[in-house]
Amino acid sequence: MTGVLVAGFSIAIPRIPILEESARNLFLHVPMWFTMMTMFAIGFFFSIKFLMSENLRDDEKASAATMVGIVFGICGLLTGSLWARFTWGAWWILSEPKMNLAAMSMLLFVAYFLLRSAFEDPKVRARISAIYNVFAVTSVPFLLYVIPRQLPSLHPGAEGNPAFSEITAPELRYIFYPAVIGFILIAMWLFTVTLRVRRVAQESKHIG
Amino acid sequence: MANNMINDQSQEMGAQEQVDTLTAAYSQSWEGVTATTAQNVAQTESGFVQMMSSNDLWPVVLGVSLIIWFVFLFFLIRLERRLHHAELFNSKMSTDSSNSEPVTHSSEPKSS
Repeated sequence: MTGVLVAGFSIAIPRIPILEESARNLFLHVPMWFTMMTMFAIGFFFSIKFLMSENLRDDEKASAATMVGIVFGICGLLTGSLWARFTWGAWWILSEPKMNLAAMSMLLFVAYFLLRSAFEDPKVRARISAIYNVFAVTSVPFLLYVIPRQLPSLHPGAEGNPAFSEITAPELRYIFYPAVIGFILIAMWLFTVTLRVRRVAQESKHIG
Repeated sequence: MANNMINDQSQEMGAQEQVDTLTAAYSQSWEGVTATTAQNVAQTESGFVQMMSSNDLWPVVLGVSLIIWFVFLFFLIRLERRLHHAELFNSKMSTDSSNSEPVTHSSEPKSS
């Protein structure tokens, strides 16, 4: 990641009108969403696994992965809002489908944790939140990719705008793909740390 | 405003069969082109906007990096606090259990 950051800030990039040097945000803003989707997919996997095994450890893993996914989603929303202000002219554009649906998908996962906090019995909590998580994760591709691509939008990848995959110069790709891998590895590390901290906290409760 | 821009843009794109370059795709269609790019920032804009729009939008890249850094930092501090509470709880429990153990070696009567 250090190499990605150094290269991302130092290489010469093609001059793109309006975006100018802020095109470098491709290495920072876009990987946030890739990483978020990866972590939600891991949460989805462990939710399904819990429903089959009824092992509470799988529920813990699903919850930790979803938590880390939300952290990256918040980063994506905040960085996108800042970038939008200086390219589209506003912090938040209410008619922009990608922005609104991204925020909505975040709210789906905030609701996941609210739902978890509503149950005392660990088994019931795990079962209901696993079912909810399966619903939430399967709706995210539609909210973030399918629906925005059918609507007029300022965001690349929507109707009327080419996706970054169609327009990204090769020198940007050399940094972009390692950045995605690097952020996913950071997310995996945060996931294991979160899981370990939760287990220590739970063992303390059991001892008490 | 944004609605109008999107409608104009979709009409323009409908007229174009294929988008050729970035310039053709984006120029004149994003609001920022008239409001916030370095050469167009009006002097009436706030100091923050002027600063962020300067130097070919380099400060925006820095701002995005700082946002990611501070969100990660917040998350790690939150984890650290949770771990700290668990550690405090564990040390308190171990202290309590050692205090409650019967002390036999000093109070036992000597057999001899």
